[in-house]
Amino acid sequence: MNESADDLHVLTGEYVIGTLSAASRAALDTRMKNDAALRTAVEMWEAKLAPLAELVEPVEPSRALWSRIESSVAATSSARTTSASVNPSSNWWNSLNLWRGLAASGFATAAFMGVVVITKIAQPPAPGYMVVLVGPQDKSPGWVVQAGTSSQQARLIPLGKMEVPGDKSLQFWTKGDDWKGPVSLGLVMPGQSLEIPLDKLPPLQPNQLFEITLEPYKGSPIDRPTGPILFIGRAVKII
Amino acid sequence: MPASPASPDSSRADAVFFDYEAALSACARGERQALHRIYQIESRRLLGVALRIVRDRALAEDVLHDAFMNVWTKASSFDATRGSGRGWIHTLVRNQALSVVRTTGREVSADEEAMEAIEAASVANAAPMAEAFEISADIGRLDECLHRLDVAKRNSIMLAYLDGCSHSEIAKRLNAPLGTVKAWVKRGLLSLRECMA
Repeated sequence: MNESADDLHVLTGEYVIGTLSAASRAALDTRMKNDAALRTAVEMWEAKLAPLAELVEPVEPSRALWSRIESSVAATSSARTTSASVNPSSNWWNSLNLWRGLAASGFATAAFMGVVVITKIAQPPAPGYMVVLVGPQDKSPGWVVQAGTSSQQARLIPLGKMEVPGDKSLQFWTKGDDWKGPVSLGLVMPGQSLEIPLDKLPPLQPNQLFEITLEPYKGSPIDRPTGPILFIGRAVKII
Repeated sequence: MPASPASPDSSRADAVFFDYEAALSACARGERQALHRIYQIESRRLLGVALRIVRDRALAEDVLHDAFMNVWTKASSFDATRGSGRGWIHTLVRNQALSVVRTTGREVSADEEAMEAIEAASVANAAPMAEAFEISADIGRLDECLHRLDVAKRNSIMLAYLDGCSHSEIAKRLNAPLGTVKAWVKRGLLSLRECMA
């Protein structure tokens, strides 16, 4: 790394105060995994600037918020604890090999399994759409998209970790059957879930295409993907 | 436990005595009560932090939801030798909030170029800058170091940290050229680091 100490402190300082772009943040997150000096510099800034939080006016959360967190925690915990028991659906969810095996028989099957498993784990099985994004070659699932029919948000959830070269970014796209071209849903950080606002798009439709491509650092310079497709899938309606 | 809303002062007093590290260890062991205790002690302040950054009440609650899920699932990776438990929790919330505003693009990046373009034109702007923040709480050494910065650098860093402003948002708020703001942030950080080392 041919960065001077000042460069390191400015870069990590900007990461902590938040002025880096999404792509630069993601790149730094990736580098931090293998760079102890970088991690230490970030932690130094976090600790030094933390007292600023005292200047923020506290805000009372709505009563529903804790219940929401509690049911999400219950959902992950039941997945965690039943994975050791005989409940086959939870075991399936936790078995990447099986996912891979399933995907080998076509990703529509994998998508179907995703629906079954997710609706079993999630507390109220809200109607909506589900997409399993799989590798175009090996069909192994990498990401899941969940969206309610009425909600203006979709959620992109990683199923595993992946490395992205420091000079590249992951970009998320969608395209309806009758659209002229794909629409960017923004840059994606490897291994991190993402809330995607859908309010500026037409309503989700069955079979709508979603894909994640490898793009330059700041994302595709044009209004369509320029790099290889890493994951692809189509929306399936959950009943 | 009765759910009577605590006043800001009592929540701060609770926060001083609360053992965040022990609560995180309990979360790592799967004790949901520990997560609830963290929520009771810290959620009001954390929601304040998230709301300042994302500037939308519903979105801020989504950030807090996701951050608490991260606290729960990542508690076992918390390392008390590398920092405080409370700081770790705040970092998860800030990172989640920043990820939302940076990824969903509260602003268009073309804006940056436009700002660069009008840079020369607005250099003439010479009105003295007012303080954007009043430092009302005791934040110790950081306060002293922030006040060694000139007002423009101090405002830039605080707009970024507290309000989640990008370079170009700071430029708009302070009515200053983008290139100048970038330099303020950079030099401000270096001075802060030197002062606090």
